[in-house]
Amino acid sequence: MADESRIAAARSTRSLGWAIVLFLVLPITIVVPVSLTDQRFLSLPQDGLSLRHYVNLVQSAAWLSSVGQSFVIASGATVISVLSGTLCAVGCWRLGSRWSELVRVLMLVPIIVPTIVYALGLYRLWVQLGLLDTYFGVMLAHGVTGIPYVVIIVSTSLANFDPRLEQAARNLGASVPYTLRRVILPSILPGVVSGSIFAFIHSWDELVLVLFIASRAIFTLPRRIWDGINEHLDPTMAAVATALVAVTAILLVLDMRTRRQRSE
Amino acid sequence: MTAVAATGAHSGRRFFFANERTAYWLMVAPAAVLMAAFYFYPLVEVLWISVTEPKPGLDNYALLFTSASIRRTIVTTLRICTITTAVTIVLGYVVAYVLVHASPRAQRWLFLGVLVPLWISVLVRAFAWVTLLAREGLINTTLRDAGIIEQPLALIWNEFGIVIGMVHYMIPYAVLPLYASMRDIDARTVSAARGLGGSRFYTFRRVFLPQSLPGIIGATVLVFIFSLGFFVTPAILGGGKTLMIAEYISLQILDLLRWGLGTMLASTLVIFIFVLLAALAKVVDLKRLFGAG
Amino acid sequence: MRDEQSFAQDCAEILREDLVAGRIDRRTFMKGLLALGLLPAALGGSGAFARAAMAQTAKPKEVVLANFGGDAVPAFTDAFAKPFEAKEGVKLVIDGSGPSTGKIKAMVDAKKVIWDVIDSGTGQAHQLGQAGYLEPIDYTIVDKTKLDPQFAYKWGVINYYFSTVLAWDSTKIQGTPTWADFFDTKKIPGKRMLRRTGLAMLEPALLADGVAADKLYPIDQKRALAKIASIKADSLYWNSGAESQQLMRTGECVMGIMWHTRANILTRDTDGRIKFTFNQAIVQPGIWIVPKNSPAGSTWAHRAIRAMQEPEGQVLLLERMGNGPANPAAAALVKPQFNAANPSAPENLAKQVKFGGEWWMENQEQLTQAFLDMISS
Repeated sequence: MADESRIAAARSTRSLGWAIVLFLVLPITIVVPVSLTDQRFLSLPQDGLSLRHYVNLVQSAAWLSSVGQSFVIASGATVISVLSGTLCAVGCWRLGSRWSELVRVLMLVPIIVPTIVYALGLYRLWVQLGLLDTYFGVMLAHGVTGIPYVVIIVSTSLANFDPRLEQAARNLGASVPYTLRRVILPSILPGVVSGSIFAFIHSWDELVLVLFIASRAIFTLPRRIWDGINEHLDPTMAAVATALVAVTAILLVLDMRTRRQRSE
Repeated sequence: MTAVAATGAHSGRRFFFANERTAYWLMVAPAAVLMAAFYFYPLVEVLWISVTEPKPGLDNYALLFTSASIRRTIVTTLRICTITTAVTIVLGYVVAYVLVHASPRAQRWLFLGVLVPLWISVLVRAFAWVTLLAREGLINTTLRDAGIIEQPLALIWNEFGIVIGMVHYMIPYAVLPLYASMRDIDARTVSAARGLGGSRFYTFRRVFLPQSLPGIIGATVLVFIFSLGFFVTPAILGGGKTLMIAEYISLQILDLLRWGLGTMLASTLVIFIFVLLAALAKVVDLKRLFGAG
Repeated sequence: MRDEQSFAQDCAEILREDLVAGRIDRRTFMKGLLALGLLPAALGGSGAFARAAMAQTAKPKEVVLANFGGDAVPAFTDAFAKPFEAKEGVKLVIDGSGPSTGKIKAMVDAKKVIWDVIDSGTGQAHQLGQAGYLEPIDYTIVDKTKLDPQFAYKWGVINYYFSTVLAWDSTKIQGTPTWADFFDTKKIPGKRMLRRTGLAMLEPALLADGVAADKLYPIDQKRALAKIASIKADSLYWNSGAESQQLMRTGECVMGIMWHTRANILTRDTDGRIKFTFNQAIVQPGIWIVPKNSPAGSTWAHRAIRAMQEPEGQVLLLERMGNGPANPAAAALVKPQFNAANPSAPENLAKQVKFGGEWWMENQEQLTQAFLDMISS
């Protein structure tokens, strides 16, 4: 009896989990058909399906260059955020002093302060440094504001990492870089990966700073989407979203395949 | 740390130890320098405006106590963010829990489901929700055609719609830290408790939940702070009737040129969160939150 | 006479510029001057070439016009940039990155202005002008005879017309509704739609409340806001033009106050299901402004504005985007099929209510906040 209710409880938790994930993908069930709409604005298909928005995506120099720019900027920004953020999280974790505590609490500020306020300050600084409307300027701005995500997420996975392991390695004579690479990093890797994903998405989806510090040269994907939304809800943005979802899905499936083959 | 220092009485080790601390500070340095030069320096310059414009003094801060418009915005923001955070953490916890206990294959699919929404821009998502939830939207028309409802349900143009949109956005931000902390919970402690005859729920409550607490607190703080910054989603899904603090600030800066007021509200947000964290630190060990073992 | 003279001098200048740029040879240049009756003047003084060289150095690399992007970038390019470049030999570039008030202030404060002419509105023009961020419009360059002088302000000048109209779903409403119907939710049930910033939303409320069209200004703000508040439970407020279209198209709202450009496209897209009327619509000016320390300099910014006063470009803009020409002379050039949705067509102007720019200049800032406070409380 007890076993049965136990199994039932486990099953219902699991179904609830899957239901929530279904909720997460619910908008996709809209975005995919919308990307195939025969209308010129974001809407469900009316008289039939059409691939014209995909054609527009791959033929439009503007959309392609925006995807390219966003990819370059987000990749560069992620490198900045992940390298400095992970090192910072590990350093603070080992130091544990008041000062490093302060560093970590200050990391919350960029998430608290509305981006538009920072954008004003950034604009003034970028004028002085000549970084307005440049790849590097946007990359640096996104990279710096992405650091907190990495620090927070990596710190969370460090919270459960037994510091004695690290101490043991050090006592056995391992150097700090060696310990970092061989002992700490492997065990916090999921945190680092999550942190990278968020740092990447942070840049990929960032609009407020870009609208402020870019003008003619830099036209990232969010800016293109913003342009399309204000204009006529251009369905090309649904095609972009669908394509990205498809790429993510394919990558994960490929990864699954290789893992299965390896285990066989 | 002090314990280590005490055992390291040997002078050679002491030297080694000082060296080690330098190494750790060097690891903190790049992030600290980047943030100081390119974030805090320009930010502080702007926040300074809150005490200089339109005239020097604390007049902008006095508005916090006198302006009904600001008070209403703050109350609305706190209410929506609190509800969003609570719902997000509960749902995110369930997903993370199921993730940790799922087979590797199921895990992949669950991860796909969690990561996929991240690729869809906030704006596109808002319009997807409108298509789904509107009075003439997919959900209402389906229910009506099935004869379940006569009048459309008010799923949108209110705080319910806003919370749906925000929770949807925030769940991945809760799941990943929660998952990271649950993953490290020693499965042996759980099976030991079960082996000693603890019921499933008892084991969860007394063994699993406490160990996942740092993850919960971390995710809660993150989600709450994050949700304070929303404005596209509330503006659209609320039918234009909901004004949250981030949009209020943006309005002051971009349109009304009341930079003193906008930066005052931003500074207030920072102070408010820090006070909140300080209060939280009295109740729970914040060091755990930030991973100081 | 003065005008003719300056026009001829202008031609001479173009010739000189063409000469220096190597587009025409010296003989053609002299012939041109001769034809204009300016040869003696050009040969006198320090010589035509010295002056031509000076005109050349004063010539900017480009003049930059900022607007809010989207289809307006290619449309402005065809309507304004190409003719300007052909006439002046200077590139006119359209930057669609969105000239928000805050960004203009930040630019001028940082002495890093990248725009010469900005597509703006009455409220923004006044707000920035009073705060010292704009050049006053130079009416020795901008031609007041080519516009309605009522919309020639100190800090900005009309660039085109647009209208805030009443649109409705013809499957749910028979006939043409009025502003009074819009505010009467008992007579016609269903959701309404208004613009979220409150701009030009007070006039319909007062018209519905029985105020005569010529007695609207100064606006009784309290009365207007109370009228709008009375239908709050049945109202949605849009942020962007595209959103207003979506709310009408999907049947979420039975009636809406929206821009005529958006309403017109909606009528086309829905095969006439959504209709709109110019009756008592609020016809408003879009405004050019010139920021302080613009890169090409104030003179060239104003020369660009003058060039854009030519009716041909304005008519092209109407055909492409629906913006009504500001130059009354354009009316004769508009093809008949574009007149129905042209807010500045004489027959449509007669039906509409002219926007009281002066009142909005003084009040838009506080009204924006008051309006948002009202709808969000």
